[in-house]
Amino acid sequence: MFENLLPPLNNHNLPYPDTIHPIVVHFVIAMVLFGVVCDAIAFLTKNTKLYEVGWWNMVFATISIFIAIIFGQVEAGLATPYAAAAADLNLHTLLGWSLSALLAGITGWRYIIRLKNPASIPVSYLSMNAVLTAIVLFQVYLGDKLVWVYGLHTEAVVEAARGGLLK
Amino acid sequence: MSLWSPILAAGANGLPYVVPIHPNLVHLTLGLFIVAIAFDIVAALYPLEKPIFKFLAIPVTTSGLYDVGWFNMVAAAIITFFTVAAGFYEIILAEPSDDVISPWGLGAMDTMVWHGVGGVLLLALIVGMTVWRGFQRYLWREDRARQVDWSYLLAGLFIFVLMFAQGTLGAHLGGDFGVHVTADRLIRDGLDPNDLSASTPFPETSLADASPSEAVTTLPTTEETP
Repeated sequence: MFENLLPPLNNHNLPYPDTIHPIVVHFVIAMVLFGVVCDAIAFLTKNTKLYEVGWWNMVFATISIFIAIIFGQVEAGLATPYAAAAADLNLHTLLGWSLSALLAGITGWRYIIRLKNPASIPVSYLSMNAVLTAIVLFQVYLGDKLVWVYGLHTEAVVEAARGGLLK
Repeated sequence: MSLWSPILAAGANGLPYVVPIHPNLVHLTLGLFIVAIAFDIVAALYPLEKPIFKFLAIPVTTSGLYDVGWFNMVAAAIITFFTVAAGFYEIILAEPSDDVISPWGLGAMDTMVWHGVGGVLLLALIVGMTVWRGFQRYLWREDRARQVDWSYLLAGLFIFVLMFAQGTLGAHLGGDFGVHVTADRLIRDGLDPNDLSASTPFPETSLADASPSEAVTTLPTTEETP
């Protein structure tokens, strides 16, 4: 009954013009990577201003990842993944939810560190940053494959799937 | 065979690597610029937000918020040179579908030209904003509580609008024209993207199964397959 309340799906199989998830993830990818770089530079140069920049970027990334997941689930549900794309889409979904927990945990840890002493962070936190960076980069690679290799939500793939050519 | 053909010898996506680089650098350009402006706005309006941060028990200094506005903007300016460079490389290698018109009524070539011009314009604006921001931070407003002029924040919001248009053109290049999308290239060559080694044509039975109303004019028939 609710499908009648939504706008009709367009030639990208979306109820709105273009995919939104890849836009929201700007604010997860860029903020995590830049926040980690700021923390590393601050640690090496003792420029404590950059710790503050690292912290705020992590806060922004943590808020953004939950919005990214909401749009990601909507667009994954409308993606008509064909056989070759399904495994990577599932892994991207699993890793996305896991990253939200990891990112929220790291930012919470950072909140406590910053409350105690905003001018320093422990090496164990920096190593957690490194783990986070590796997972984010792998997640970006999976998302890239979904868009640029499998072409999910591109016009040609949606047309082929609707025509029954692509299963 | 030109001198460059080994370098340009690309996969099915028309690139000598598996996924395009430009859209990934775009994440950094847009994320860094938008967050830089956002934090300057949050800092400039801090008196209004003070109770919220207090309720959340997050200690805030406006100088820390302005640091985000400054360092994120510097990073956006640096990374965007690479974003534009990668974009032009991948435009040069683009083989867009020339029988498609975008939702904005533009063909592939027009969309690529506008996206290219827009990229250079935005690079100039981002670098200009960074220089403007630097002068405000270190010279003109060094002794002011509010580190940025309102006109700087308004200019940033205006650039958001340009970025939205530029991003939509870029989305058309990938999503509608299929530029550097492996599956789209394969489908337009009559191949099944389930086989990424690009050797399996769509079976004729599948073509027959497609109902005429849903059949797609751009899908080639099997006689075009190698």
